[in-house]
Amino acid sequence: MQEPFRAGASREAEGGREIAVTVRNVGMDFDGIHAVKNASFDLPKGRFLTILGPSGSGKTTLLRMIAGFQTPSSGEIFINGEAVSAVPPHKRSIGMVFQRLALFPHMTAAENVAFPLKMRRRDARTIPERVERYLALVRLGGYGGRRIHELSGGQQQRVAIARALVFEPDLLLLDEPLAALDRKLREEMQLEFRRIQRELGVTTINVTHDQREALVVSDDIVVMDQGEIQQKARPIHTYRQPRNAFVANFIGVTNFIAGTVRSVSEGGDVSILRGALTLAGKIGDPVNPPAEGGKASGAIRAEQIRLAGDAAQLSKLDCVLAGTVIDTIFEGERMVYEVACAAIGDEVIRVFDHDPAAHKQFDIGESVFLGWNARDMLVFR
Amino acid sequence: MRAARTAYPLKWRIMDALEGIAAAIWPARFRRATPYLMLLPAVLLVGLLVLGLIQIADASLRTLDTTTFQFSDDYSIANFRRALTEPLFLVVAQRSLVAALIVTAVTLVFAFPYAYLMVRTRSPRLRKFLLIALFLPFFIGQVVRAYGWLIILGNQGMVNEALGLIGVAPMRLIYNYPAVLFGLVQYMLPFAVLMLAPALTAIPEELEAAAGSLGANWVRTFIHVVLPLARPGFIGAGVVVLTLSLTDFAVPAILGGGSQDFIANAIYDQFFRTSDQGLGATLALMLVALGSILVGLVFALFGAGTLAMGRSRA
Repeated sequence: MQEPFRAGASREAEGGREIAVTVRNVGMDFDGIHAVKNASFDLPKGRFLTILGPSGSGKTTLLRMIAGFQTPSSGEIFINGEAVSAVPPHKRSIGMVFQRLALFPHMTAAENVAFPLKMRRRDARTIPERVERYLALVRLGGYGGRRIHELSGGQQQRVAIARALVFEPDLLLLDEPLAALDRKLREEMQLEFRRIQRELGVTTINVTHDQREALVVSDDIVVMDQGEIQQKARPIHTYRQPRNAFVANFIGVTNFIAGTVRSVSEGGDVSILRGALTLAGKIGDPVNPPAEGGKASGAIRAEQIRLAGDAAQLSKLDCVLAGTVIDTIFEGERMVYEVACAAIGDEVIRVFDHDPAAHKQFDIGESVFLGWNARDMLVFR
Repeated sequence: MRAARTAYPLKWRIMDALEGIAAAIWPARFRRATPYLMLLPAVLLVGLLVLGLIQIADASLRTLDTTTFQFSDDYSIANFRRALTEPLFLVVAQRSLVAALIVTAVTLVFAFPYAYLMVRTRSPRLRKFLLIALFLPFFIGQVVRAYGWLIILGNQGMVNEALGLIGVAPMRLIYNYPAVLFGLVQYMLPFAVLMLAPALTAIPEELEAAAGSLGANWVRTFIHVVLPLARPGFIGAGVVVLTLSLTDFAVPAILGGGSQDFIANAIYDQFFRTSDQGLGATLALMLVALGSILVGLVFALFGAGTLAMGRSRA
């Protein structure tokens, strides 16, 4: 027997915690199309990682490779330090909650939860007690005898979670299981996932296209686009310090103003020129900073812009633009204004007003002023 | 002009005209009767069959006077007594029943992997090939196919010639029970595959992936997930194959060569050889009864499967 190859990084840092999953230079080709390109990251034990990206970004392919349903075209995946490319799914210690849940319709809730224990030939006498314990964990105590179709959507979610966790897998994978739920239930289940994950401390990888879900549930977020990892960071850093224009645009509502770089300072200050307008900002991506004379765009989030009827109210802000309201969108907790600004060729800037009751309401066609601080504008090349 | 044509294509205009004609013939206030009107052909067909059965029941109660070749005017159960006591008929009935059960079991075993591969394969080419191979026998017809087997399996047939090449003496491969069973399985296979395929299509592939991730290898996935969920397909296919085999005529007649008669062959003999329509009618009734009991038994034990149209108890 050959000694299984151990990943050198298995005990490496990120807070000195043991690494549960290592994805190293993993690629996946389908008929010459690169679904996943050279993906690498480490996931320490007990953490909740979300792979976030639009459809077709390769996030599900990456998850399916970790689960063992697909074999990487290149690179290697390590679980607890062992290379797993040659290990079939049923020999990996992975619990998975599927997109359409994949509960067995011919079994009861309890039989579904008992299934992985039976398949792993656990002692039959301990199974009922354990099944009941995990049903209780997902708050379904007493529902074991129900058939799957007798349960509501949320209850089915809970059965799927219990089934994926009952055999104490090393890793829990969530393949967008919440995508089909209505918003209220989805938000409830997001918190439920987080609660259960913290209670058991199981290492978890979640896949979603829902930025809110990623921000709410995760310890870390990996943002993917076109098969490539764009950024791996904690939710707050992903949101506040996006590494490139894609991440800035995909998460939150961001306005981009394109221009030419006039100057770049040592301290990270950048100024860009757009027509007669000079915009001050900060370097967004230190690895790939904008170059003097090159093209770049300044990114400013809709909630970081202030809106006022006259310029004097915005005098403390670094950048002030005049514009005209062309549309107002009422979203309940906030009002979204679309403002066309003459200084940037009537491009539309979106602005959030979080307190519609206290502020003056602006109407379509009204002249307004927009203002923001230079430190809130990130400049990407 | 061109834009207008694509916006309202000729097909729609024709449909409008047809709807206009239909509305003139069958005004909207008759609409509630429409479903019944559409059922009418089917009701007529089944009704005629019932009338025929009544006539057969009448004939079955009249005995043939072998001296005058006249049927008795009064009813008696003599034909039923004969059918139940004469060893020949019992042998025929037993032979048909056992064959139907064996053929059903073997056909389902063979049909399942075929249907599974056809449904699950990722290659559209293979799926097309399997579908064509499945439908080809339908174009050939049962009699011609049975005759083909006579040529292939006969004393001077291809199989015996091939056996001769490796030094095996010619064997009698036709005109016996196994030959009939073989011919029936071969005939029933496409029916079973066609009944199983939709049931397998209805099983989400994700369930098999889930079973894998939960620790089941393919054998246990098959036993615990695929087989139980394919049950409706098995029941539907089983009932069809069972009834078709039980009542088959051509395969036992041709591949059995007269020595392996099934119930249908015995009925044929009574009607067209000995001209005892009374006894023929009796045997026909008993075949209907046997078939009904078998199907009823299957439904009672396992539910109606795909034939329940998704309204099963499960």
